[in-house]
Amino acid sequence: MNTRRRDVIESLEISDLGASRRAFLRNSGGLVLGFSLLGPAALAAGRELPLDTSVAALARKGPFAAVDPARLDAWIAIHPDNTATLFTGKVEQGNGSPNALLQMAAEELDFPYEHFYLVMGSTTETVDQGPTYGSMAVRYAGPQIQHAAAAGRQVLLAMAGKHFGVPVEKLTAVAGVISVAGAAGKSITYGKLVGGKRLDVTIGASGETFGMKVAPDAKLKDPSKYTIIGKSVLRKDIPGKTTGEFTYMQDVKVPGMLHGRVVRPFGVGAKLLSVDASGLKDIPGFVQVVREGNFLGVLATTEWGAIQAAEKLGSRLDRKGPDDGLAKWSQWNDLAATDEVWDAVRKAPGKPESVAKHGDVDKALKTAAHTLKATYLTPFETHRSLGPECAIADVGKDKAIVWGGTQMPHQAQRDLAELLGLPVDKVEVRWVEAAGQYGRNGLEHVMADAAIMSRAAGRPVRVQWMRWDSHGWDPKEPPIVQELEGGLDAQGNVTAWRHQMWVPTFSDTTLLPSELIGKPVGKRNLGSAAIGYEYAFDNAEVSSHNASRVGVITAWMRAPGQFETTFAMESFVDELAAAARQDPLEFRLKYLKQPRTIGVLQAAAKRYGWQPRVAFSAGKQRARKVTGRGIAWVNRDDSLVATIADVEVDQHTGEIRVKRVVVAHDNGLVISPDGMYNQIEGNIIQSISRTLHEQVTFDHAHVTSRDWASYPILRFHEIPDSIEMVLVNNDPKFKSNGGGEPSTCPTAAVISNAVYDAVGVRLRQRPFRPERVKAAMDKA
Amino acid sequence: MAKTVHLKVNGQSHDVSIEPGTRLLYVLRDNLGLHGPKFGCGLSQCGACTVHLDGKAIRSCVLPVEAAEGRAVTTLEGLGTVAHPDPLQQAFIDEQAVQCGYCINGMIMTAKAFLRSNPHPTRDEIKQALDGNLCRCGTHMRIVRAIERAAKAGAPA
Repeated sequence: MNTRRRDVIESLEISDLGASRRAFLRNSGGLVLGFSLLGPAALAAGRELPLDTSVAALARKGPFAAVDPARLDAWIAIHPDNTATLFTGKVEQGNGSPNALLQMAAEELDFPYEHFYLVMGSTTETVDQGPTYGSMAVRYAGPQIQHAAAAGRQVLLAMAGKHFGVPVEKLTAVAGVISVAGAAGKSITYGKLVGGKRLDVTIGASGETFGMKVAPDAKLKDPSKYTIIGKSVLRKDIPGKTTGEFTYMQDVKVPGMLHGRVVRPFGVGAKLLSVDASGLKDIPGFVQVVREGNFLGVLATTEWGAIQAAEKLGSRLDRKGPDDGLAKWSQWNDLAATDEVWDAVRKAPGKPESVAKHGDVDKALKTAAHTLKATYLTPFETHRSLGPECAIADVGKDKAIVWGGTQMPHQAQRDLAELLGLPVDKVEVRWVEAAGQYGRNGLEHVMADAAIMSRAAGRPVRVQWMRWDSHGWDPKEPPIVQELEGGLDAQGNVTAWRHQMWVPTFSDTTLLPSELIGKPVGKRNLGSAAIGYEYAFDNAEVSSHNASRVGVITAWMRAPGQFETTFAMESFVDELAAAARQDPLEFRLKYLKQPRTIGVLQAAAKRYGWQPRVAFSAGKQRARKVTGRGIAWVNRDDSLVATIADVEVDQHTGEIRVKRVVVAHDNGLVISPDGMYNQIEGNIIQSISRTLHEQVTFDHAHVTSRDWASYPILRFHEIPDSIEMVLVNNDPKFKSNGGGEPSTCPTAAVISNAVYDAVGVRLRQRPFRPERVKAAMDKA
Repeated sequence: MAKTVHLKVNGQSHDVSIEPGTRLLYVLRDNLGLHGPKFGCGLSQCGACTVHLDGKAIRSCVLPVEAAEGRAVTTLEGLGTVAHPDPLQQAFIDEQAVQCGYCINGMIMTAKAFLRSNPHPTRDEIKQALDGNLCRCGTHMRIVRAIERAAKAGAPA
C-alpha cells in the first residue's frame, strides 16, 4: 500500500476517537482510505511509494497549504523504482480525460505511460487548475501539464549531465532512461537519478486556473515526434473497475465514522415544524438527529440503522404529505407543476442578452413569400448518476477534512470553508472518484450535508443520499422556452431569422444544505443563450431572456443550454429547408462559411452515403414502421460535430428507435482516439436517452419523478445498431479542444428531423415519448 | 437484537453479527468489505448491486441477509482479480467497456449468469438479458461488444 498517503492522513487527523488509524488500516480487511487516487494497477501491485514527495513537503509547510504551481514537484514525482506520479487538479468523472492528461505528461517527460500514475483533485496535493467541466480538461489543463512535464525532462537531463559529467547535448531521454550518446552502457533511469528526492525546482507559473501558464520557458516536443499522444492507450482505472478492487467515494471509510442520511423537506420551500425523535430510540445503532433550521438528518452506527431512522422521519419514496413521518413540515405548494413550467420560465424576471442582430427582421418577415413560426420546449432534466451522492466529513473546532467526488474540489474547499466559518487553509478536500457526473450533480451538496452533520456530532460522518434524494434534489438542467420565426423568398432563400430564448440559470451554485440551515453559500447566477450562431442569413436576430432560479436549484448538465438551443435551431433550419423544398444538407451549406463546420457536415454525409432529397419526399406511408433520416450540427467552443441518423417510427405506438448513427467529430488533435470514441458513444447514447425519455416531473410541492420508474432512461433494447465515428482534423496542426460534451448537442434535432422525414410530423417538445409522438401523428 | 448469520461468500465462510432484515448489500459492503456490488437505488431498479445467489443473478439491495443463509453468494470479487481476471472481466478490459464504471458490477454479474444459461447468444439476446440493468454514461455499445467477445472466446462459465 501507499505509505505516503497513509502518513499524511495520520498527521492531519482531526477527530480521532482513540482508534489508531495505522491499526485500523492494518485490520480493515481491504477497506481503503482514499488510496484510489493512485492508479489501480499500483494498488493491485501493492506498490510502495516513497514518503519524500511533494505532498509530504507540503504537509510540513502547514496543514492545508495550497500547492504552488511554480514548483516542479507540484506536478511530478519520480520514484526510486522508476515509476512516476502526475498530480493534477483535474478529476475523473468517468470520461477518461485525466487519462489523456497523463498521456500528454508521459509524452513530454519521455516516460512510459504504463509506469506513470495519477493523483487527482485533493486540495493539499494538487494545483487548482479550475473545475473539471465544460469539455475543458485537455484543452486548458493539457498545455499546463505538458509544459510542466517538458520542464521536468529538462531538469532530469541537466541532472544526468552533472551525473555523467557530459554536456546535455550528448544525452538522450527515452522511456524514463537517459543515455550518453555513443557511450554504450552509460545510462541511468530517472528513478535512480532522482534517488527518492523531491523535484525541488522552480519552473515558474503565472495566472490562475484555466488561464494559468506553467513553465513558460519549457520547450515542447515537435509533434511529429509524438509516440504517446495520439495513441489509444488502455485506461488505468478500468481493470480495477471490472473486479471490484477500485475504490469509489462510496467505498471510503474513516475510523470512528457514523452513517448519516438526510431527510429533505416535503415541499421544496417547507419549514421544519417539529421532530419527534422518541420513536427512533429503538432502532439499533441510532445515535442522534441533526436539526439545524430546515436541515434534518439522522446519524447511526450502521447504514441500515441510519436508513431506518430516516425512513421513520419521512425519507422514503412514497411519502404522502408534510405530516407523513415523525418530522412535520409546513404546507408549501408554490412550485410550478410539470405543465406549468414553461409559463413560469417565460414570466421569470431576467436580463436580455443579444447574440446576433443584423438587418431588419420585422421588415424582412413582412415582405417574405413564406413565413414560419414555431415554439420549442425542453423540460427540467436530472444528471442522475447511477451511484447516489456520497461524502465523508471530519469537522473539528478549527479545521475540517472532507472527502468527496466533486468536479471542483478547490472551489468546494472555499465553499465549505465559508459554510463552516473556517479559513480556507483550515479545510482540506480529499477527492475520491464517484459515479459519473455529467455536470454539477449533488456531489458538492452532499459534502455540505456531511460537514453540517459532522460538526453537530463531533465525529466523522459519511452521508449517502437515497435514490429519491438524488432524483428529487440534485441541481437540475433548467427548462428552456424557444420561439423561432423565419421567412423565405419565392426562390426558397432565407430572408429572415429570429430565435428568442427564455433561459433560467444553469449556474445556481447555492449549496442546498446551506440554504436549509439558513446560511446560503454559493451564487444564483443568470442563465445565458449558450448558442453558437453561424448561419449567414441576411436579416437575423438571436437573443435570450436570462433568468435566475425558476422553482428549484438548476445547474449545468452536459452541454448546458446548448443541447437545447441546438435542438431548436437545427430543427427549425430543417423546417425552413422542408418549406423551401430543398435537401436539408445542401440548404444548410448555402448559409455556412466556416471551413471546419462545412468539413464535419461533409465528412458525416460522406460516411453516411447521403443522397440529396427533400425531407418527407416519400409522403405518408402505410407500413407500420417507417424510417427517416435526420441531420444536425454544432459548434461547441470550437469543437465541431455533425450527426446523421436513421430513425424508425412505429406508426401504431409512436415509439421511436434510433437505428444508425454517424458522427463526424472535429476537436482537433485527439490525445487518445479510443478514449474519444468512448466519449462520443456515451454522448450519443445519453443524448438519445434525454431526447426520447427524460423529463423531471413536479406537483406544486416537489419533484414527483424520484426513481428510475418515474424518470426512465434508455435501456439496452433501445440502443442503436451502430454508431459510426469519423475524427476530422485529428492532426497536431489543430489544437486539442474538448470532447466531453459537444456530440451531445445535435442529437435531439437529428431525431426530430428524422421523425419528420419518416412521418411528416414535427416534434418540438422534448421528450419524444411514444404518447406524445402518437398524439402528434394523430393530429397531423 | 443483532443475531449471528452464517454466510458463504466467494467460497469463504463468515459469521456476521447483524440486525435481522438488514439487506445483504450492506453486509457485503460494510461488514465484509466487498465493494464490487454497489448501492444504486435500493429499489431493485438499476442492477448495480447484483450478486449471484447459488449461481443466479439477484439484487442484493432488497434481499434480507437471512435469505442468503446457507446459500452460495458470489460477488464480483469472486470472479477474478486485476492480476487474474475472469475471461468476462478481461473482455470488458479489452473492449475498454467502462466509463465511470459504477454499473459495471451489475453488467458483469448479470452477463456472467446469463452466459452460463446461454453460452452463444445473439446480440438481441444479450440486449434482452441486460435490459433490466441501467448505465447512465452510455457505455451500452461496448458492454454488448464485451459480452459478445467473451461468448466468442467461449469463456468458461
